[in-house]
Amino acid sequence: MTDPLLDVDDVHQSYGEETVLEGISFEMERQDVKVLVGPSGSGKSTMLRCINRLTDIDDGDISLDGDSIYDLDVNDLRRQVGMVFQDFNLFAHLTALENVTLGLKRVLDYGEREAVEKAAWQLEAVGLREQADSYPAELSGGQKQRVGIARALAMDPKLMLFDEPTSALDPELIGEVLEVMRELADEGMTMLVVTHEMGFAKQAATDVLFLDDGKLVEQGPPEQLFENPEHDRTAAFLSRLTKLHGGQ
Amino acid sequence: MDPTQLLLQAGVGDWEFVWRQRQFFVDGTWLAVKLTFFSMLLGFVVGLPAGVVEAYGGRYSKGVVRPLGVVVRGTPILVIISLTYFAFGVSPAFVAATLALGVRSAAYQSQIFRGAIESVESGQMEAARAVGLSKLDAIRHVVLPQALRRSVPGFQNEFTIVLKDTSIAYAIGVAELLKRSYDLFSIQTTAALEVFLAASLIYFVLTFTVNRGIEQLHDRVAIPGGNQ
Amino acid sequence: MSRNTQRLVRDGVLAAFWLWFSARLLNDWFGGVFVPQGQPFFDPEPVAAAATAVREAATGLGVVGTPVGWVASALDSASFAMTYLPDLAAGAWLTVVLTTLGILFGLVLAVPLAAARVYGRVTHWVALAFIELIRGTPLLAQLFVLYFALPLAGWIGAVPFVGSGVVPPQAVWVAVLGFTINSAAYQAEYIRGSIEGVDTGQLTAARAVGLSQLDGIRYVVLPQALRIAIPSWTNELVYLVKYSSLASFITVTELFYAVEEAAYSNYRFLDLFLLAAVVYVLLVVSATTTMEWVRRRVAIPGVGGSAGGRGPA
Repeated sequence: MTDPLLDVDDVHQSYGEETVLEGISFEMERQDVKVLVGPSGSGKSTMLRCINRLTDIDDGDISLDGDSIYDLDVNDLRRQVGMVFQDFNLFAHLTALENVTLGLKRVLDYGEREAVEKAAWQLEAVGLREQADSYPAELSGGQKQRVGIARALAMDPKLMLFDEPTSALDPELIGEVLEVMRELADEGMTMLVVTHEMGFAKQAATDVLFLDDGKLVEQGPPEQLFENPEHDRTAAFLSRLTKLHGGQ
Repeated sequence: MDPTQLLLQAGVGDWEFVWRQRQFFVDGTWLAVKLTFFSMLLGFVVGLPAGVVEAYGGRYSKGVVRPLGVVVRGTPILVIISLTYFAFGVSPAFVAATLALGVRSAAYQSQIFRGAIESVESGQMEAARAVGLSKLDAIRHVVLPQALRRSVPGFQNEFTIVLKDTSIAYAIGVAELLKRSYDLFSIQTTAALEVFLAASLIYFVLTFTVNRGIEQLHDRVAIPGGNQ
Repeated sequence: MSRNTQRLVRDGVLAAFWLWFSARLLNDWFGGVFVPQGQPFFDPEPVAAAATAVREAATGLGVVGTPVGWVASALDSASFAMTYLPDLAAGAWLTVVLTTLGILFGLVLAVPLAAARVYGRVTHWVALAFIELIRGTPLLAQLFVLYFALPLAGWIGAVPFVGSGVVPPQAVWVAVLGFTINSAAYQAEYIRGSIEGVDTGQLTAARAVGLSQLDGIRYVVLPQALRIAIPSWTNELVYLVKYSSLASFITVTELFYAVEEAAYSNYRFLDLFLLAAVVYVLLVVSATTTMEWVRRRVAIPGVGGSAGGRGPA
């Protein structure tokens, strides 16, 4: 029996006196698309950042394809795990194309020509062929985020982490980013997404995980959580959220 | 003697004297320029790594660099120059002056670079690490290119300071512009005003032109969409 | 060392320094209150004797004794420094005088300069020219012009009481003038920058409430501008402490002059210049610590970015 792609095992994490994550456990198989939901401060973003070691866990373990992430070289780990940020974090001094080629050249040791070729292809895949030579400041929010996605995808990761990818976007720009994410899910990418976009969760997620106050309250297929949740808290939170962000 | 008499006394004769001695001024200016250039260079070569250490260093490296910087920045350049030349015996005087000015500049440039690095949002570093770049590569390819562009105004300011501080090399006998002026003044004391005014004018022209030049450079290397 | 321990050590050292400094000055001004005028508080003899003893021990130990030899050298330097401390204190006093007068008079001159620069029409250009010229030329050259090129020293020297008793000699006044003019040019720019750093909406809102232009500036703009300016003033204070050493070039007997004189008489350049550096650093750190205290006393969250907070969460 093969290992799950991602195995989060009884993870605890604290920030000073405050407990952020308490006993979180879940698994992800290849091609799973799981959505993390929960109120602000429930630890969702921290969970993502623990997986690529931007934040360190205090107890428990996380494994990628059978290897504990603390046994792997940290840069090696990050090559296999892609991350898309809420604030895009595009390299401000580089063009869209260069944002994507930087990782290819410096981390994967691509030559100049191969890097440009791959980057151009990746940008086209997210619909930004014309914007390759633009600087981040010249792009709209939705375009910036798609560059962010392209940058992460170009590294051919096994797992993609999305940290509230549309929260910083104006409403009319959210759609283009969600569409790219849906296509990605269809193509079989393994994705762990923190978001409030319930429409995306209903359409594309294999499982929805509800976090509250650092604890994993409930997880299950979207139909189950939305229509027949086990806990009252889950029901209360999801119905509130669907009113604001649902149905797309 | 009243002011009008003073102005009359600053007659053509003394300005003529300045003009006749112009080679003195040229030599002194050239020396001042050389001093400034090499000191700034030394300051950059030492100051940039120091700034990076202060921004990213661990407890021990910071624990060394920071206090060192505080001490150098708290000591008058006159004392640093005197220490270098008289106490440590660095010779000739030009080298001592360059070393002293360079060390002082390094201490200040490290602050310029540290501030610029810290002004680059932490998200840039995070994104670079998330892609798999090592910390060193992330600093080299993502943070520093942006930080260096933001350092230009501080650098401009530092240049002006170093150029003016070269006048203090006078204390160890370096024949830069102000010392030459003083020597001329001792030859013809009535020309004091003309001589020192001429020197001041030269300093002013130098700082003015380089400042405008750096501003041009700043516009050229600006990142499209803003440097903020 | 933790942050707090660092602060404690710093405050302790500064307190000790100022205690010694005040006691020394008091003693020498009033003709020998604790010890005869000019005599060090602590007898350097025992320290010098200790130095020799330790050095003998060091040579006895051979190679192993090298670090012990360093201790001996340190003790030797210390005993040497102790003999010169009274002279240095007198020099340091002038440094303090030059700095305080320079920055205070400079402020008085800077305010109208800044006002002209921001609000004037013809005066704007005059102020701008003055500021650019002063900031673009070396302080030392300015001092030379004032002292050698202009007959100021002579005029001031002719004023009764100058140079006798408590009143400092004419060179000091020329130096004060030089620092005043120089500092005024820089302070004017800091003031202008901080006034422009206050959002224009502030004054608009003040006028909308019914305040006059002058009252608006006084009660709304200035309180914010002054807080924004604190870091610049700290810089200026530190600058003056250090560059007061240039006054030695025009015969002012401040700290550097005192050190130089001592150094030329016994050639112990390293010890004396290092001691000078120590005293200057103590003065500078005193200045920054005081300004830091001031900043915290007057801090308002969100104003001047200096209140420790980062604005709304």
